[in-house]
Amino acid sequence: MNTRRPVAAALAVAGYVVMLVPILFVVVTAFTAGSTLRFPPEGLSTRWFEEALGYEPFLTALVSSLQLAALATALALLIGVPVAVAIHRGRIPGKGLVEGLFLSPLIVPELVVGLALYQQLMIGFGLDSLTALTLGHTALMIPYAVRVTGASLALADPHVEEAARGLGASPLRTFATVTLPLLRPGIFSAALLSFVTSFNNVPLSLLLQTREFRTLPVTMLDYVQQSYDPMVAAMATLILAGTVVLAVLAERTVGFAKIFGGINR
Amino acid sequence: MHSRKSALLLVPGLAFLLVGFLVPTLLMLFSPPGTGAAEVFARLGRMLTDPYDLRIIWRTVRLGLIVTALCVGLGFPIAYLLARSTSRWAGVLLALAIFPLLLSNVVRTFGWLVILGANGAVGQALVATGLVDRAPQLLYTELAIVLGLTQLFLPLAVISCYSAVAQVDPGLDEAARGLGAGRVRTFWSVVVPLSSPGIVVAATLVFAGAVTAYTTPYLLGGSGQRMLATQLYAYSSVTVDWASASATALVMTVLVFLVSGLSSAFGRKGATA
Repeated sequence: MNTRRPVAAALAVAGYVVMLVPILFVVVTAFTAGSTLRFPPEGLSTRWFEEALGYEPFLTALVSSLQLAALATALALLIGVPVAVAIHRGRIPGKGLVEGLFLSPLIVPELVVGLALYQQLMIGFGLDSLTALTLGHTALMIPYAVRVTGASLALADPHVEEAARGLGASPLRTFATVTLPLLRPGIFSAALLSFVTSFNNVPLSLLLQTREFRTLPVTMLDYVQQSYDPMVAAMATLILAGTVVLAVLAERTVGFAKIFGGINR
Repeated sequence: MHSRKSALLLVPGLAFLLVGFLVPTLLMLFSPPGTGAAEVFARLGRMLTDPYDLRIIWRTVRLGLIVTALCVGLGFPIAYLLARSTSRWAGVLLALAIFPLLLSNVVRTFGWLVILGANGAVGQALVATGLVDRAPQLLYTELAIVLGLTQLFLPLAVISCYSAVAQVDPGLDEAARGLGAGRVRTFWSVVVPLSSPGIVVAATLVFAGAVTAYTTPYLLGGSGQRMLATQLYAYSSVTVDWASASATALVMTVLVFLVSGLSSAFGRKGATA
């Protein structure tokens, strides 16, 4: 940081404090030996990690969350990649409109979508929680698949694919041997983004939960409301550790900034 | 690729979008079960005149604006310093600013309970200094919500501003300096105007996120400091009042569409200017 720009540097430091210090507090609290959320913590222990890992509702919810995130990510890619290919390589009328339509789930507030699916599909249609959640999460993840894989398609030279066709490869073979490898970094970024976004989602998962199927973030919110002990801090620290592993993986493979660059532009 | 064949690629996506998003959302907004569009709009009309509802709408907009100002005010300096830095730590610091985007909102927000709670760090520190006898109420206040939302959306502001500042040629800063402008003047009359498209994107994303966020006002605002999102949840899952839920959802959706529309209008104006 530059000391010749004192005002900017002071604001930047304040920004980092707001972004990161609360996360440190979660970690410190998780290692307390005491039984309340108090600061400074009373002694050091790993008892709350043991409690969290032995707490049945958290474990069930963790499995549910991973299941849902994997399912929604796979579906969003299966549906979104063909859409990206059609938009960037196909001859379809009104491309801008089509792309806008597929990105529209990003604009509508998630809580509004959650309420809509709960009211119309679960109550109105009698869908079970997992089906409604899969539908909703997939619809929300499709924009990531379309935009992020679309960004890597837009960068790739379409002449390579035309050359493959010209040399006699079938459209399917061209897709499998030329287009798909070009798309690999985009698909990886989109998969990572949708998995994490689905895993962390609260608004949809909150409204579409049932006693039989609820995700980890929703279960943790619920727990905080009932009881004020540090077990949630321990669970949160475990999630943090998992997220750090994913982030390092992302940085090593495609680069962090690139993954998020695709969604903002 | 043939036009008919490429249109076929869109079919599964369109089907999912219709069933999993568009149709349910439109039905919920304009034709909730047991009532109709007329009732939703009547409720919307009462909402815009009722002091209780208005207070929630106003709190949502007001806190949204404050959080937007804070995120741009803190995020732009971070983006600016990182984009202009030649230090090898700049990459690490950028990654640290982006990393929270991958982390669960619940995890990020939970920290404030430890900092602001009754036995939290800030309260205990204030008591220890002897300035106050009892820790002041910090949790379940608007201040807590503002802090929580700023933490949540600051990374988004940093990324949007960063990609804009990084595109501004540092040579222009030097040219302005060479022509006699001071550091401060160069910043305000060269760097800021040239990266304004990124600032607008940042402000739009932050505002839209802040006025629709649920976890933060739920955990840090409680039932005393309701915002549109927590109110919407109460209408749909506690009192099951579909007309009020739809009207609240409409207010939230219109609010977000309005800022997105304003932002893209600004983008077009900037492009033609």
